[in-house]
Amino acid sequence: TPLSPQTRAARVRVGKGDKPVTYEKAHAPHYIAHRKGWLSQHTGNLAGEPGAAERALEDAFLRRFLYGTFPGILADEVVLKRRANLLVICAVLVRGLAPAKLYFLVGYAETLLAHFYKCPVRLELQTVPTKVVYKYL
Amino acid sequence: DPMGVRLAGSHVDTQEPKTNPLVSISDEPETLYKRLSLLAKGHDKAVLDSYEYFAVLAAKELGISVEKVHKPPKKIERLTLLKSVHIYKKHRVQYEMRTHYMCLELKYLTSSTAAVYLEYIQRNLPEGVAMEVKKTRIEKIPEHIQEPVWDTLPQVEETEVKS
Repeated sequence: TPLSPQTRAARVRVGKGDKPVTYEKAHAPHYIAHRKGWLSQHTGNLAGEPGAAERALEDAFLRRFLYGTFPGILADEVVLKRRANLLVICAVLVRGLAPAKLYFLVGYAETLLAHFYKCPVRLELQTVPTKVVYKYL
Repeated sequence: DPMGVRLAGSHVDTQEPKTNPLVSISDEPETLYKRLSLLAKGHDKAVLDSYEYFAVLAAKELGISVEKVHKPPKKIERLTLLKSVHIYKKHRVQYEMRTHYMCLELKYLTSSTAAVYLEYIQRNLPEGVAMEVKKTRIEKIPEHIQEPVWDTLPQVEETEVKS
């Protein structure tokens, strides 16, 4: 079958109007640096800096790991920041679990990731009553 | 009560002089730097602008003279890849990675000032920003070239040149 002339990368197609979509998902990738920010901030992709592939692999693993540790509670994509060996993970959660369980999950994620990647890991959370909807498509 | 607190604290200072454990004094002569050049690279121009404001403010507070702050032109690395997994060579996707630069040049620093300033600046480096530092050191001219060579050689007589 021939290819369609439109690009379909990271775009949510317009539908009936009943699908809630967050700000992150509503914008296509050509809006990065104009209306969107970066989800993962590190120096691997700068000109003349090494380590882009390693950081990409770590990011993929971290996103799947966090999607699994906080099942159904993640409101939006996780933001990863690397500051000189320190890895800061910023996540927005929906208030679906009791705070005691959240504290346990935070400690579990931090210690496990710190032992796995051999660097200090800090998880910064924000809770939100429901997923923040930008528009309905 | 506040008067009592002040009197209670004051007699401690007169008996033992306070030495700050973080400050170290050494007798070796400090290396002098003629120029300290910082090059910051990042993807986001707004982040680099705010970092430039912060670095210039820190330099002014510490009394370091800023020679110039300039922004070299950005470098764009473009990749053209195949859009599909298997065939369709005529359909491609293009990606680009932009690196913005910001260069800060500082004049006439001592090594301890440079160490303090660089430590402060680098501890507060934002996430997606990389920095390169180049230091230009001032040294004394070595002894063997302090005087020109033709002054030290013995005088040669010029009678041989005529014949």
